[in-house]
Amino acid sequence: VAETLRVIDFGPSSPLRSQTLWHAIAYGVSAGAPPTLSFTRPATPYVCLGYHRGLDELNADYCRENGLAVLRRMVGGGPVYLDPDQLFFQICLPVRAVPPGRSKALRMLLEPAVTAFRAGGVPAVLDDDLEICLGDRKICGHGAGQIEQAVVVCGNLIERFDHVRATGVLALADPAQRDQTLALMRRFVAPAPVDPTIFRTAMISAFTAALGLEAMSGELTRMERTELHALDERFTSETWLTGLGTRPSVTATRPRARQVKVRSRIWTLGASFDGARIAAGVVRGTIEQVRVHDPGLNGSTGKLERALTGIPVDSVVPVLARFGEPGRRLASAFAAADSGRL
Amino acid sequence: MSSEERVTVAGFALALDRCYQPDTHMWVLLDQPGRARIGMDALGIETSGTLAELSFAGVGTELIAGRPFGQLEAAKFVGPLVSPVSGWVLAANNEVVRDPGLAERDPYGAGWLIEAELNKTGGELFGLLADPDEIAAWFAAKIADYRLKGVIAE
Repeated sequence: VAETLRVIDFGPSSPLRSQTLWHAIAYGVSAGAPPTLSFTRPATPYVCLGYHRGLDELNADYCRENGLAVLRRMVGGGPVYLDPDQLFFQICLPVRAVPPGRSKALRMLLEPAVTAFRAGGVPAVLDDDLEICLGDRKICGHGAGQIEQAVVVCGNLIERFDHVRATGVLALADPAQRDQTLALMRRFVAPAPVDPTIFRTAMISAFTAALGLEAMSGELTRMERTELHALDERFTSETWLTGLGTRPSVTATRPRARQVKVRSRIWTLGASFDGARIAAGVVRGTIEQVRVHDPGLNGSTGKLERALTGIPVDSVVPVLARFGEPGRRLASAFAAADSGRL
Repeated sequence: MSSEERVTVAGFALALDRCYQPDTHMWVLLDQPGRARIGMDALGIETSGTLAELSFAGVGTELIAGRPFGQLEAAKFVGPLVSPVSGWVLAANNEVVRDPGLAERDPYGAGWLIEAELNKTGGELFGLLADPDEIAAWFAAKIADYRLKGVIAE
């Protein structure tokens, strides 16, 4: 007799509950509730931070002006904009049912979602970076984590994507980096034209097939309801929202960089040092667009930007060295980037 | 650590001068009585994927063997770092927090995670692998198992 895959469709939820409901399930599965596939759709837009990410990665003014609540989840990934045009799914299993290697575990738990996209007529693939894509565009965001003795992977069906808002919520170094981020977001992140009812049904079929389980409609257990209320309180506390902060911060005297991942291998960078500024869009390790500013460039800004365009990020410093003191300042700014990730 | 204490097993570095918790791939290096440095072995790092973030409990936090003392994020997957010992956090390695890749490049050296003052009974250490031959055999078997299951590449 096959074990059960509990399926819970919460329908539209408040921003808070669109997070705490499935976190409560994770505690339940950890305590012995069956593996669970859940769905929910935020009733109103909001912003959500990954477990390790800092509030300083968000444009607080933009979020406030647009009435966007900010929440922090227990799973990974960066700051994201969520709205009613995104249907979220969460698959939650006991940790013992998941392979020890994270890549293998993620592949196992994201492949059924790929099957569901395909059932809806979108020839999605799970690429080598474990992102669900259509061509070179990411069509599904995901995050994952182990909560007590349960593993949860969440993702979304993006029916429509508001690139402007998704960029607007991010703290970026300057307008040039904002323009580059929006352009790359439009190019590399896309909605998937799948009927959500078909997607949901296909997800259930794909997960039951992949996990050898029998789907059964369910609801939260009493223990999960208790956890839900505790999570509601925790997720709205200042302490939880503030989180761990970011990595040990650089001092004010060091160069500052703002680095944003649009999707795997697609980044923008905004950095400054001593009056010099550089904003770059980096596509698979190559600078595609760049804007620089330095008071000492004296008309050679365009020449410098052309020299940087199209080169690998690890060739930036030698190129800047040809531009004297302004180049040195820009190289110092660029050095603040975590270039290993670009 | 002498070169004799650092070996390569089926392509993975292994330090033989310390104890290991075999389920969680955490190592414990006693650097003076009642004090230990804790890190993750090369195989544990490999199965985690490219490290993006590390976070640890604050100095003074109680450690309980088998319970998390921090979190590791790789491939957007946040998971617990499980303490191999009981005691208290004495120090966290801020360098590895700033640059998690340090744990990948030097898992047995500069990539250590926390330092701990051990619970006076030190009982949990008896549950760890300490004999070099036993450690090498466990490590080799684990690699073979992970390769068989496709968890790590051949």
